[in-house]
Amino acid sequence: MKIQFAGLALLLAMPGAVAGQMRMGASATSYGVSVRTANLNQTAASATLPGDGTLAQAQASNVTLGSYVSAQDVFAVATGDGDDPADAGSSVTLESVSVLNGLITADGVVAIASSSAEGSNGDGSSLANVTVNGVSLGDAVAPNTRVELPGVGYVVLNEQTTTPGGITVNMIHVVLQQSVLGVTRTTGEIVVGSASSSVN
Amino acid sequence: MSNPRLHAGLAATFAVALAAWGCEANQTSLAPATGRPEFHFFQFECTPFKVTGGGRIDYPPGTADQNPPASHEYETFGAHVIASGQTDANGTCLADKGELEWVDHRPEMEINGHPLNLHATAVTFAERATDTDCSDGAAHWGGKLRVQNTGQENLDFEVWDCDNGEPGAGHDGFAIRVPALGYEVMCPDPDLPPAEPSCTLTGGNRQFHPTH
Repeated sequence: MKIQFAGLALLLAMPGAVAGQMRMGASATSYGVSVRTANLNQTAASATLPGDGTLAQAQASNVTLGSYVSAQDVFAVATGDGDDPADAGSSVTLESVSVLNGLITADGVVAIASSSAEGSNGDGSSLANVTVNGVSLGDAVAPNTRVELPGVGYVVLNEQTTTPGGITVNMIHVVLQQSVLGVTRTTGEIVVGSASSSVN
Repeated sequence: MSNPRLHAGLAATFAVALAAWGCEANQTSLAPATGRPEFHFFQFECTPFKVTGGGRIDYPPGTADQNPPASHEYETFGAHVIASGQTDANGTCLADKGELEWVDHRPEMEINGHPLNLHATAVTFAERATDTDCSDGAAHWGGKLRVQNTGQENLDFEVWDCDNGEPGAGHDGFAIRVPALGYEVMCPDPDLPPAEPSCTLTGGNRQFHPTH
């Protein structure tokens, strides 16, 4: 009998579960390009999942942020919902990407982040014809590939980072560094093709 | 410059096969009508549900494998729909609301040098498919859209939406058809129930929510 009462109490305490409407937190954001330096702090073509779930999108035919980055045909989407079974996802695509006046280029960039109660992944993300310092890396760039940029800093390609209940995918993440008297410090960053999502 | 109408050849092959299949599979197909599903390829029911998510399809061929990224042979999208569970006087299952943002990155589909971009302006119908092996739920829904590149609007569209477990990549599916453009990204498989002309996602996820 105690067990029955305990079960009833549990059901009463979770009306959402009884109705199949358990609400979880679902968040998703994507953007085309972002520059954060002492001189420029700007993000372009950004979409963030609305509070009611559903969908948000942003796009831009041409994006140029100073002399740091340029890209064409940027499409960013964020979707998902917190209703059980919760899900969140975001994607962004770009074409004709040039970072730091051609130091890094890519014909096409796709960043996709997906999250559900079962886990998160960056499946579907890709770089097309990426070059760094004039060296072609082709299409198959492994996650979290780091390439040094002498005199500039370094770049992480296909950067995939787990977050609480989610994932962030940055397809091109340049860390700007400066060395003074043997001490290296970060002076800024450039991100191209970022998608993140989480379910908690 | 390119126009979807000029590339109907490949799509037409699928369209012919699909139309024949649809007639054979379902004796209650509806005549084309504005704001209503043009075909019922499967058994369906009007119940409240919601489908959310987005992702990537590498079509053609539309399998679980990515095409080489440099080929730009892929499509990306975000889409959600909320079905009301109600029907109109014609028996069409009504949608409460929905959105679709679709980008076809294939070079042959470019318009004025930019990827084909379809944007739903209204989602009018949504029905839950029951004759399907999509493990977590499937839907057929659609409405009206605008071609962002050209401004063409008020064009009927329909999609097939399949949540087939987790993760979405390699499992879930999605397909779209815009008859007025002769445009479709569909992957019918005679080994599967006709409710599933959807192409396998190579990224992203579709999530079927049985209630809303």
